[in-house]
Amino acid sequence: MKPFGILAAASALLATTALQGAAFAQSGPIKVGVVTPLSGTYTPIGQQVRWGLELAAKDINAAGGIAGRQITLIFEDEEANPAVAVQKAEKLFQVEKVDFLTGTVNSGSTLAVAQLAERNNRLAATTVSFADSITGDKCSPNMFRVNARAEQQSVALAAWLEKEKPKSKVFYLGPDYEMGRSTVAAFKTNAEKSGAQSMGEVFAPLDSKDYTQYFGQIRAARPQVVYTSVAGNDTVRLLTQLQDFGMLSNLTVVGASGTVTSQNIGAIGAAAEGFATGVGYSTQIDTPANKKFVEAFRAANKADPDLYGADSYGLLFAYKASVEKADSTDTDKVRDALRGLTWKTPQGEKTIRAGDHQAMQPMYVVRVNKGKFDIVTSVPADKAIGPDACTRF
Amino acid sequence: MLDRLAISMRASHVLAILLLAAALCLAALGAALDDSFYLRLGTEALIFAGLALSVDLLLGYSGALSLGQALYFGIGAYVSALTLMTVPSFWLAMAAAGLATLVAATIGGLIANRVRGVYFALITFGMAQVVAKVVYNTRELGASDGMIGIPVVQIQFGPFAISAGNPVGFFLIVLAIIMGLYGLSAYLLETPFGRVLTALKANERRVPFLGYSVWRARMAVYVFAGLVAGLSGALYPVLRGFVSPELMFFATSGNAVISVILGGVGTLIGAIYGAVLLVILKSIIGSWTEHHLIVIGLLFMLCVMFLPKGLVGFSRPWIERRIVRVPSQEVTASAVSPAIAKSRSAS
Amino acid sequence: MSPIDYLQFVLAPQILNGLTLGVAVVLVALGLTIIFGMLDVINMSHGEFYAVGAYAALALGAAGIGFWFLLVLVPILMIPLGMAAERLLIRPVFDSKDRHVTTLLVTFGLGLIVEDVLKVIFGANTQRPPTPIPGATEWFGILVPNYRLFLLAVGAAIIGGVAYVVYRTRLGAMVRAAAFDRHMAASLGVPVSIVYAGTFAFGVALAGLAGVLLAPIYSVFPTMGRDFILLAFSVVIVGGMGSIWGCVFAGLLLTQVQALASLVISPIWTDPIVFGTMVVFLMVRPQGLFGRLGHA
Repeated sequence: MKPFGILAAASALLATTALQGAAFAQSGPIKVGVVTPLSGTYTPIGQQVRWGLELAAKDINAAGGIAGRQITLIFEDEEANPAVAVQKAEKLFQVEKVDFLTGTVNSGSTLAVAQLAERNNRLAATTVSFADSITGDKCSPNMFRVNARAEQQSVALAAWLEKEKPKSKVFYLGPDYEMGRSTVAAFKTNAEKSGAQSMGEVFAPLDSKDYTQYFGQIRAARPQVVYTSVAGNDTVRLLTQLQDFGMLSNLTVVGASGTVTSQNIGAIGAAAEGFATGVGYSTQIDTPANKKFVEAFRAANKADPDLYGADSYGLLFAYKASVEKADSTDTDKVRDALRGLTWKTPQGEKTIRAGDHQAMQPMYVVRVNKGKFDIVTSVPADKAIGPDACTRF
Repeated sequence: MLDRLAISMRASHVLAILLLAAALCLAALGAALDDSFYLRLGTEALIFAGLALSVDLLLGYSGALSLGQALYFGIGAYVSALTLMTVPSFWLAMAAAGLATLVAATIGGLIANRVRGVYFALITFGMAQVVAKVVYNTRELGASDGMIGIPVVQIQFGPFAISAGNPVGFFLIVLAIIMGLYGLSAYLLETPFGRVLTALKANERRVPFLGYSVWRARMAVYVFAGLVAGLSGALYPVLRGFVSPELMFFATSGNAVISVILGGVGTLIGAIYGAVLLVILKSIIGSWTEHHLIVIGLLFMLCVMFLPKGLVGFSRPWIERRIVRVPSQEVTASAVSPAIAKSRSAS
Repeated sequence: MSPIDYLQFVLAPQILNGLTLGVAVVLVALGLTIIFGMLDVINMSHGEFYAVGAYAALALGAAGIGFWFLLVLVPILMIPLGMAAERLLIRPVFDSKDRHVTTLLVTFGLGLIVEDVLKVIFGANTQRPPTPIPGATEWFGILVPNYRLFLLAVGAAIIGGVAYVVYRTRLGAMVRAAAFDRHMAASLGVPVSIVYAGTFAFGVALAGLAGVLLAPIYSVFPTMGRDFILLAFSVVIVGGMGSIWGCVFAGLLLTQVQALASLVISPIWTDPIVFGTMVVFLMVRPQGLFGRLGHA
């Protein structure tokens, strides 16, 4: 190129920058970082998170983006290990300069990332972790949660149980770690409040191979209902082994929302029939918004969305609403906008409670019928939310 | 006169100085560009390099493969975290972690050193697994969630203080500590005690005839390796502000073993190079595909089969030849020192 | 709870279920102990071969091949895989100075790769083949699923068959001779290199067979190989490397200890207790209960 050409190109470039100069910071894409397990045991959940977010970004971008800016998602694998999650999150915050972060699955990662977000003065949200502590005693001004926590799930399920099997005898079987124990405790309190009788509890180590060793205790206790908060492969083993031992015929099995999901229901097969849980989402929610979402999700991913996919999908719309309301991506302004925000999702309307950053949402009790989750009842958002236990802000 | 071992060790030192120079350049560059992520990633790499160093002390110098060295790393991290949450003093945390791992490694050593070879590998694996499960189930230690809220401390040097939140400052401190541990390990291996270890590795049966206790030598290196792992682990919560039981899991121990194999068994500096390389690899491959296990597993297997001395073993003979050609150590040192001086002035 | 209730509902089923778990562990550990005792090789990827067997059963079963045929087909398909692994990975490092450590590391790397490859091919979700023999049998109020009874029977048959081959046939004698003194065996005309490859492949085939048998009970997922590995290694050590009867005895003993400990103490302490047993054995009798193959 001749010197003249370079000069012309440079001056043209200068002119455009000068014209756009002030608005430039506002016109680049909005970057949302996603640290989620893409390898290891939690991969199936990470996959749902990814699918939900990708679909939401596509929908928002097609409709003109957030305040005219497109969304770019940047994924990093956290291997369900807080040590990796924090390293990857720091990369996203400092190198990629993401405006917002989400995706963590296990509560250890979520809590560690919340602290990192505080130290980097950015915002983050979880769409999966349901440990009460995240918006309770370990709440953070920089962490939000748009999915239902353990308390909300228990309230809904206990309300249904009271109607379905009044004063039932319940046996509890949880995985032996912090989350398992706290979900069992949360449900036990709610069930006992509504008149259920506790027949005993047992905690099995995580990744137990054989649950049959607990069946004797269960049979001897003669319960009508078994509550469990195991998840993933553990559920597959527990339920199919219960079935093999012919114990499902006169038992109602209920559990946490992560116990039976679209990831493991296929492997559980007929043993999942009749399983009931309190959850924030079901593909059966009969609204036009949900039908559209399910259809688009299936078309894009050849799979049904589950609670993780749906909660992740909804999150980006909350972020969009708050950025547009704040007219900025500034941390403090967006935080203020998110507090008390009400927005629409395929699950219905959600509201973020300002006091603890927990989303309030209608809760459903779903029951497996012919391999699909049927909605059997629902509990309005304000009935299920439970007290605000966050004292930090 | 230099013998074979001294030459190898000296060649390792040359590589160590190169690493130090590169690290100082990174620090200078990071400070100039006001970077914090890469410096902190480098700091983390150095911390895990300490763990790898401890694995190499066992594997390379007493032939004992530990598949559970993360146990001491984790104990160091947890003790340091607990100390920092009560008294925010860096040196106190390091001392407490050091003391705790010393005790733990002595107990662990009494168990593990009753056996050799593959049994040793399995027993260390099992010990780490069991302790990790206990931590995972202990509510007082945060159970499966781990502990957050470890404050960013001021690290006192007499009248001066550097914040652990200062990326360059903390990077340099960790660099000094890890290279210090490297230097100490190298020094110990040059002492008569270290020579007993080398003799042990070469021929275990003859050593007792020379009047040395095999068990005592093994025990000593095991406890020292535990201490190195523990002190490295103690740095982790200072950097990241949290601890989690995953730090004790097999994945952490396994990564340290991979680092040692990649870098070169029995070279000490290889462990550090290997750990840094692994962090870089994981960071690059991890952003590119989630199937990083395949790539790292393949690389690892190729190293075990075709590069038994790792990457350092690949480059070290060349340095060794130069050392033999110029036997005076002063010449070697002065050949490299201008580079350090330059990088120092740049930072 | 009344004593009768306790016996009928808790203790007896616990012992019986411990027995089926014991047979499962022995099936996984059998291949491990043979490779261990014979080749002096620690196969860290043994769990992954078990997973490969389970996935093969799942995929072939979905393609319409019956369970009974799979019991034969999958182990046969595993043999070339085992041969290839031995030839390409074990043989090149077999004569290195520290064989234990080197082979352990190579197979550890192989395990990492296989696990990830399984995920690439089959996805990360848990899957499960249908139970081949449904239904349950009741004796005195103790319920046992029929498939578990079948597993006990088949397990016993497999163990007996393997023991017969190793201890009573000419082939087994060659294997034991090669394990005892490779050079002596070679000079007596035992084709040592073929025996080594064959033994490794046999161990791998056993892992695959265990995968087929256990998939309906324990379900199938990419990381399933890690499930049994600590327990299987403990069994091999307690029983004595390479000893078939030691493996059986230790497998049943450790799973009973586990079953009763989880009942009497608490389920979370089962791992520490099993491991503690292993440590005590290593301290008191490092050669294991029955000593090693070829040396007994």
